[in-house]
Amino acid sequence: MTQDFFAKGADPVTPDNLGEAIQQAIEIEIATIPTYLYTYYSINRSPDQEAIKTSIIEKLVAKGRPPIEAEEEAIDLSAELMVFANKAGALIMSVAIEEMLHMALSSNLKQALAGMPDLVGKSPVFPATLAGHQPPFPINLAKLSQDQLITFLKIESPTDLPDPRMLKTINYTTIGKFYQMIIDCIEKNDLKYLDGPQLIEGKAFYAQNNIDTVYYDKKHRPHFTNMDDSGDLCHVHDKASAIKAIKCIVDQGEGFDDKGLIQPGDRVNCTALVPGDFDDPEKKELSHFEKFVQIYCTYNSLNDRFKNLDIGVTDMYDYFVVNVADNPKIEHYPAHVVPVANLLNAIYTYIFVMIEDCYRQSGNTQWEIFMFGIHKSMIFILNSICGDIMSLKYTREGKEYVVAPTFNDYKFDDKSRPKAQMIDLFNKAVAVFPKIQYLGQRIHDLPDVPNVSSINSF
Amino acid sequence: MATIKYSPEGNLCGGPKPTPTPAKVPVELHVCMGLNACKGHDRLGTNNCAGTGICATAERHNCQTLNNCKGQGGCGLYGDIEAQSNPGNNECAWQGSCAVPIQAERFRTLGPERGKSVWLQARKLFEERMKKANRNVGPSPYKCGPPQALLVRWLDGYDSCGNSGDKSCSFGFNNPEDNAKRLCEGKRE
Repeated sequence: MTQDFFAKGADPVTPDNLGEAIQQAIEIEIATIPTYLYTYYSINRSPDQEAIKTSIIEKLVAKGRPPIEAEEEAIDLSAELMVFANKAGALIMSVAIEEMLHMALSSNLKQALAGMPDLVGKSPVFPATLAGHQPPFPINLAKLSQDQLITFLKIESPTDLPDPRMLKTINYTTIGKFYQMIIDCIEKNDLKYLDGPQLIEGKAFYAQNNIDTVYYDKKHRPHFTNMDDSGDLCHVHDKASAIKAIKCIVDQGEGFDDKGLIQPGDRVNCTALVPGDFDDPEKKELSHFEKFVQIYCTYNSLNDRFKNLDIGVTDMYDYFVVNVADNPKIEHYPAHVVPVANLLNAIYTYIFVMIEDCYRQSGNTQWEIFMFGIHKSMIFILNSICGDIMSLKYTREGKEYVVAPTFNDYKFDDKSRPKAQMIDLFNKAVAVFPKIQYLGQRIHDLPDVPNVSSINSF
Repeated sequence: MATIKYSPEGNLCGGPKPTPTPAKVPVELHVCMGLNACKGHDRLGTNNCAGTGICATAERHNCQTLNNCKGQGGCGLYGDIEAQSNPGNNECAWQGSCAVPIQAERFRTLGPERGKSVWLQARKLFEERMKKANRNVGPSPYKCGPPQALLVRWLDGYDSCGNSGDKSCSFGFNNPEDNAKRLCEGKRE
């Protein structure tokens, strides 16, 4: 990943370095995707309510509460927990979906203003830092926790993060300000807009909501975390469309005028919502920052309920967050897991191979690669194998963990097509993990896209 | 262990010719209960009128892009507004946006009809088509499509896509049948 792009500090973005700046923006967006997805997959969105309820009743009765009263409390608390687990998953997924949109929007920008975006091999190696951000802070693959949510809030922060070294050089302090530097360059200069293929609106490539961004309330009524009008793909072909694409990215991430974390101490403002917390004209969709605030604050209030019962529950995440390790590496996994983890990484990387190819192809070919390649891979292959692999466990340094995706870029070699290599990996993986047999046909059906390194980068 | 083989181009244009399949007496392929255009064209072949069939003739599948061909995709949980507005009415293979058959509890996730029944939309499109064809339509065996519990019994398990949990469920504060009734009445879930 590009680090510290503005080596001399707050250098402006100029027409000469615009391509490099937009590539850095792309890599920032890419870095958020595995970060959010890893945490997402650590959440069991549908835990066993009956088991939770029974456990709470037993603890309350042991504390001397009458059984009927204990049951009433347990039904309510377990229902709140069911809603929260599902809502946390829906909100994180709704952000991850919009980060994918942002990656495409910034790639459209680069295609229009500098040529081919570079997407393959740009995932960070975790633990990582966000490219160019000052102050630097670690971003980790980690399970859902309040600490991880603070990291998410820092990523999406609409305001500067405090840094004792702020008097030194500054690269950028919020993603919004970084994009503003790009906007300034676009506004001040008469730039040439190139005519390469882009991922554009009106082709069904992007949908704001799907069933994974939905959660149910206590009465099991569905709630939708994204709104139809909050953003879409945008064909970048002139100054106005370039700025529109960037505004969409910034508004969805930070909101219109959010106040950010409270300093000192990176504290979260859990007071009532204000208009600046939203990212859409109708004020119905929360910004990424505010979505994470909602999870953080709801946890605090609900966890306090558990604590006040004094039944030994100190962290209610234990009820529905899977114990995955921070920043797992394939070399940590036992031999029988390695082929499955390699296949998962190959699928993950192939998604970027296909997206990059969408910027070389147009018309029906581009459409088929996107709809039958990227969509199918995200929802029916990557999502499925992420779920399957988490049925495996391993021990490291005396602790037992659930196996999780490592989200490393897989290095396809030049000897054969990536799809052929992926099929070889599948055959090795299914031999040790028959549970994934059903994925064979789905992998077989993917478009056969070459892994071509960028020819137009700056 | 069943392995797969690499072949250039896969199921898109090009590559080797498919293996011929034996000819069968064809029926129209449709995606759910109450959506058959012809007598006898349902899973059992015993219905006596358009719109009265008991279940889909299209191949059962559990999510987006897994439908075989035109008109064989359910819709509602993935895809854009256009796709979600056209359950059972997709143009081509892999263009459906959800499972077949369509359970009564399924709702749309996008557009002005967000939160409303997918099956009712499929039936509406079907009735419009039958009106254009000057054909009478009988009632569906279930007014708002097959309840999920029924599909679970008939099909020995049933699942439509997504990670957000069972569409027909209670956390202790609702009756799932009441939620389904609201959807059936055209209200938003």
